[in-house]
Amino acid sequence: MPITRGPLEQWYRDPVSCLQSTLATLLLKAGEDPLVELGLDWEFRHIPGDVRPEEYYWPCRHPGDVVRSLLPHRAAVSRWRTVAGEDPLAVLEDALAAGLLPVIAVDNFHLPFRPAYHDVHAAHLLVVYEVDREAGTVGVSDAQPPAFLGPIPVADLLRSWDDASPHDDQDVFFSGKGETAARRWLEVRLDEPGPELDPGQLGTVLRANVRGFTNPAERDGTHQVGLEGLRGFTDDLVERSRDGGSEALVSAYTFGWGMQAQAALHGELLRRCGAGWGMRELAEAGRHAELVAHLWSGVRVQSAHGRADPAGCARELARHAALLVAAYERALETIDRVAEGL
Amino acid sequence: MTIQRRTFEDTPGAAPWPDDYSALDLGPYRNNIGITPAWSTKAGRLNVWGNSLPAEELPGGEAIVVNDVPFQFPGTLPGEPDNVRCTGQFVPVPPGRYDWLYLLAAAERRTEDVMAFHFEDGAVDFEPLRVSDFWHAPAVFGEDEAFATSVMHYPHHVQERVSGKIFCQRVPVTRRAVLLAVRFPDNVAVHVFAASLRR
Repeated sequence: MPITRGPLEQWYRDPVSCLQSTLATLLLKAGEDPLVELGLDWEFRHIPGDVRPEEYYWPCRHPGDVVRSLLPHRAAVSRWRTVAGEDPLAVLEDALAAGLLPVIAVDNFHLPFRPAYHDVHAAHLLVVYEVDREAGTVGVSDAQPPAFLGPIPVADLLRSWDDASPHDDQDVFFSGKGETAARRWLEVRLDEPGPELDPGQLGTVLRANVRGFTNPAERDGTHQVGLEGLRGFTDDLVERSRDGGSEALVSAYTFGWGMQAQAALHGELLRRCGAGWGMRELAEAGRHAELVAHLWSGVRVQSAHGRADPAGCARELARHAALLVAAYERALETIDRVAEGL
Repeated sequence: MTIQRRTFEDTPGAAPWPDDYSALDLGPYRNNIGITPAWSTKAGRLNVWGNSLPAEELPGGEAIVVNDVPFQFPGTLPGEPDNVRCTGQFVPVPPGRYDWLYLLAAAERRTEDVMAFHFEDGAVDFEPLRVSDFWHAPAVFGEDEAFATSVMHYPHHVQERVSGKIFCQRVPVTRRAVLLAVRFPDNVAVHVFAASLRR
């Protein structure tokens, strides 16, 4: 008999990576609204030297716990685990039997449903919902386009799970050096669904978010956080580009995905709440946060294309960076004002 | 909303080009290949991954109409640039008083920036340009979805079930004055395939 936790639902927005979309599937299974959960928190955090070439990289405020870092306003925890035994399927079966949905770190190169199949190595995440030894299949969910939900042969899964994602010149942003060593999986534990989000609760969160930007509690210097951290990150990025180095540009594209996704989801949530509650200024505040997400495109895309001529793109990168910082400041001013009335 | 697309050949007897529209001549400014045939996808450069849109599903070098807006769609000969990847190009326009600039455009991820409009009296206005992600994404800025392809071209293969988009976006020309030129944003995320001004 297969061990299953299906059926599953999928959720996707074009700015998000597999980190948010896989977590969204787990949240839906837990009875949560992914936009509320993934869009509540908003921060800026860059950890110099920490950015790994993975599609799911996230700068963790709680070291080693990506889900707690992404969802700081609820009781959710996670930890990366590595399968060491000879029967990797047994680990997945045990997790499913315990009511979990294991999230596994894979290499797209070996997955027939990914566009990168037999073309490009890239570190990616999948949700496992079923193991059927008799059929020789494992049920997986991948909400990233072209989106797949269904069984794949065990051999395909193991090839993608076993691969350490070697460096690939076709994808310098998400391949090589990552922690995609063989057979890693993320154990995620979510608490019971909380009460429906109301204006009072949102106001409390928004005020905490603004404090995190304007007066962050952490000032130990290892993490660049808040507006001050953002200015430090962008200044450093432009300076290193002027100096002719491409490493910071490559890293900015990878790192920026998470920041862009979070700003987009936060903005969409505030817009939705504002429209639903008849609070037009809240909706406008959300749009300001979405502008931040859209200006991340300028920084990320200029960085990615400029890596062949870092010094040559520095001036334009500086313009994008200045626009981004100004947009964060404007969005936070608006959110701060709106939060007072919630 | 149903998008109506047609070529001028589809409408016998129609005027070759509506009097109230002027096409921008983007030929000298095209600098990027965003459309490729299935047999030669490697030249595509619509994003950092080398994705491109399938020529087989798009017009090529002909006048088309998207929701009543006429455009001169670029030719899609292999190896020839078909779009303007925006790096601040300054593009003269047929002098005239216009209300809207319509664009067939796509972006490498959702993008917002500004365009500059230059007028005969020396005035310059900046107006927002918003373009959605071409890679399997909806029109988040309320654009018309001019084209949605059934496949996406990758450097080494044709990917099914990943759609490529070209959006029909518009930018207001608010000043009541004669427009002489437009400057595209200095933003390499934005790709413009065609542009028309409406009086």
